[in-house]
Amino acid sequence: MAIVELKDVSRVYRNGDHEQYALNHVNLALDEGKFVVVLGPSGAGKSTLLNLLGGLDNPTSGTILVDGKDISTLKDDEMADYRAAKVGFVFQSYNLIPTLTVQENVALVKEIAPHPLSSHDMIAAVGLADHVHHFPSELSGGEQQRVSIARALAKNPKILLCDEPTGALDSETGVMVLKLLLSMAREMGKTIIIVTHNQQIAKMADTVVRVKNGRVVSCENQENPLTAEEVEW
Amino acid sequence: MLRRKLFRTMLRYKAQFISMIIMIALGVGVFIGFNMEWYSLEVDTNEIFEATGFADYRIFSEAGFTKADLEKILAIDGVEDATRYLSVNTTVQGDTDVIALTVNENMNVSGLLLMAGEPYDPESQDGIWLSDQYAEKNGVSVGDELTLTYKLLSLKGTVKGLVKSSEYMICIPDETQLMPDYTSYGFAFISPAMLKKAIFFEFYAQINVRTGMEKAEFVAAAEETLSKTTLILGKDETVSWAETQGEIEEGKTMGSILPVLFLAIAVLTMVTTMHRITANEKTQIGTLKALGFHNRRIITHYTVYALTIGIIGSLLGVGLGYLLGWYILSPGGAMATYIDLPSWALHTPLFCWAVLGFILIFLTLIGFLSVRKMLAGTAADALRPYTPRKMRHLAIEETKLFKSLDFGSKWNLRDSLRHKSRSFMTLFGIIGCMILLVGGLGMKDTMDAFIESFYNQSIRYENRVNLDTESVTNEEAETLAAEYQGDWSAIASVQLGDAPASLEVYHITQDLVRFPDEGTGYIELNDEGAWVCARIAKKHQLQAGDSIAVSPYGSDESYTLRVAGVTRAMTESIVMTDAYARSVGYDYQINTIYTRETQIEANKHILNAQSKQAIMDSFDTFMELMNVMVFLLVVAAVVLGVVVLYNLGVMSYTERYREMATLKVLGFKDRKIGRLLISQNLWLTVIGVVIGLFAGWGVLKYLLEALAGEYELILVIGPVTYLVSILLTFGVSLIVGLMVARKNKHIDMVAALKTEE
Repeated sequence: MAIVELKDVSRVYRNGDHEQYALNHVNLALDEGKFVVVLGPSGAGKSTLLNLLGGLDNPTSGTILVDGKDISTLKDDEMADYRAAKVGFVFQSYNLIPTLTVQENVALVKEIAPHPLSSHDMIAAVGLADHVHHFPSELSGGEQQRVSIARALAKNPKILLCDEPTGALDSETGVMVLKLLLSMAREMGKTIIIVTHNQQIAKMADTVVRVKNGRVVSCENQENPLTAEEVEW
Repeated sequence: MLRRKLFRTMLRYKAQFISMIIMIALGVGVFIGFNMEWYSLEVDTNEIFEATGFADYRIFSEAGFTKADLEKILAIDGVEDATRYLSVNTTVQGDTDVIALTVNENMNVSGLLLMAGEPYDPESQDGIWLSDQYAEKNGVSVGDELTLTYKLLSLKGTVKGLVKSSEYMICIPDETQLMPDYTSYGFAFISPAMLKKAIFFEFYAQINVRTGMEKAEFVAAAEETLSKTTLILGKDETVSWAETQGEIEEGKTMGSILPVLFLAIAVLTMVTTMHRITANEKTQIGTLKALGFHNRRIITHYTVYALTIGIIGSLLGVGLGYLLGWYILSPGGAMATYIDLPSWALHTPLFCWAVLGFILIFLTLIGFLSVRKMLAGTAADALRPYTPRKMRHLAIEETKLFKSLDFGSKWNLRDSLRHKSRSFMTLFGIIGCMILLVGGLGMKDTMDAFIESFYNQSIRYENRVNLDTESVTNEEAETLAAEYQGDWSAIASVQLGDAPASLEVYHITQDLVRFPDEGTGYIELNDEGAWVCARIAKKHQLQAGDSIAVSPYGSDESYTLRVAGVTRAMTESIVMTDAYARSVGYDYQINTIYTRETQIEANKHILNAQSKQAIMDSFDTFMELMNVMVFLLVVAAVVLGVVVLYNLGVMSYTERYREMATLKVLGFKDRKIGRLLISQNLWLTVIGVVIGLFAGWGVLKYLLEALAGEYELILVIGPVTYLVSILLTFGVSLIVGLMVARKNKHIDMVAALKTEE
């Protein structure tokens, strides 16, 4: 069953008289519990797609159904509720709150998520139990990204959205983070959508969506995706 | 091209740009305004003192001075000039108005300034040169006839000219009245010829002297040549001189506290804001450097930015200062209701311009240092965005209390500590706001309490009747007092140490006069001793049980009095009962009766009567001035609060933009994020308000101590003042917080989180 469904979705940016289609009449359906990689060059529209799914932006036209609910016409507050309940975000630049410790950054979601998980368990799961009282600035990039994964999953969302999650990391750390992300999400039955221009990551995906010039060029399911170890980095 | 960027930078940080200009304008304005106030007063009053030959000493004799006495005084080595002088209170016929009628033989000393009409003529047989202020308030013009009566004598004359005089620069009948009231009291000059024609002989109770001699030296010389102890008052014992000097001192005090507060806030705002702006522009600064711009040009660019703010702010500030100065010192200004001057010119002390120049240099330096910090190192270093200080763990984090705090409180607490300068400035702004409110409103409370205890509660009579001491005996006075069911007093000038004081003997049976104690109560006079006023007690370091020796002027007797306690009074005075006076052998002369009667019938023993209403009315202008001042301080407090808090609020918003975007992405609602922002402001406000309450109290205390030479005030701050100050400060903080929090809606999550840190 499709957890995400885009029907004729467009996102148009107006710049004076000039209209630019970041997404141009896109139709797409993604199944629950799958690992989806959205591939495409810079400016193809993949981040726009992710922002629409994440409830950070509204489409100019079309309908987006997430878990059976139309999110394309939600008001600001409803969008906030949606973000709090349904989706977790992992960014290339971590976006942790610098004045909160690891533990507090993760526990933050208790304030908003309807069914949060234990922040202690999540931090332990990403292997940072020894660092709970550290501030983000005291951690390495990989460790910070692990905190942000713990925070995203602590909300107990249905979908995990990742925007170039390994973009700022060296390849070794990147692989480690990716492995962690996948194993945890799979174990917990989450749908993962990663946006990247890294072709190698696509080899691990259940579904690969290729985007170009604001259109979905292809959406293919892979029968036997590789594991992180099998991919040549 | 860089110039174009400069304008865009101003536009981009318009809130900061405008608030820095406002703060500097306020600081400079208050600084220039207050200093201009006292300095102009000094220059303008000196002008009239010089132009009219204001006397340095006044020698008094009830018996009057002869021509020979004057010659003796003129013969003293060091005396420049002198005149025989007479001033008596006369009543305008057909009215209750009182005119201080003045005769002066030599207009080079204690003379007058002609404002309209004919010049003064010493031979004139019927000419009256009348106070122009009195003339204006009472519709009298040149050519009008005026009849003045003194006891059974009446003097009829024609108003020849309208004049001002430095001797009557603050035209009040005595020190019980705070403000001049020209509708009922004025002064006039007539020629010696007219006086002689009216009373058939010469009588001058005063010799006014111009000299550069020290008081002790002059008193010794005068007493020797006149061969008797006489009351000699220096110019610092006259109302005109002492009160204006008091105003000048007061202005200097005000000119040092308030401007320092405003200027400090302005400079600190500038420091924090310039730092933030250059920090925010660090990548642009780096780009310029990477493009090949020399450091010098980039530094000049931002330095010019700071200088521009300084110049615009200073120009507006000077304008504001002049406006403030003009508001106080102009023919229609606040001070003109108090002091009667021929011209009100505004003068700024030279050091103000020097300070202003220094401020401009300092502001430029702030710009210079801010940008230089961002330019440090290689072009690559400069290109890297500014990173705030790393988070450090705090000792309080180990406490249970901290651990039990919710996320928002932790976030806000750490953020405040991380951005110390911003939090400190916020605190400073709130404290400043509180100081102005508590100080301004507290000043009014204090003055209200002062008037309540000194006048409303102490003056319980309807009329104060002045007796003619030349004709009345003590028995007659007592009989008269009994007829009016009144109390009586005998007030005389005595010498205490080397200064004059008022010795006041009271016979109180009707409770018509009361004497405020050092707190809020009243003293019950008894026959055990005399009470000295707070200023005398302080000057001579007196307390109950001590002894003082006083000597009435014109006599060689000296009396030793036991100090029974300290009272608060308008004039420097010593009060005691008639029984105690008799017990020390003091021979008093009753000269005042206090009564509840509203109608005082003409009687040969009665000179005139002064009603409580007339005294109370004289406060109206004073209280109006007070209200205006308090209003201005409240406005200044609100402006200060809004500008400082808004500027810092926007700064905080910009700095936490990314964090707020993160919260928003996580699913926090705008309202909740707004509440977080506001609660930080409110916490700082709570701390600022508490400190501000004490600071406001302290500033007021300091001001009152500076005024202690003039008034015996006690600090009173009413609950309403505290309440209004606290509510207003919280109100300002909350409204500014809401203004800033409203911006949350426009956080662009996508853009904010894309930008690399």
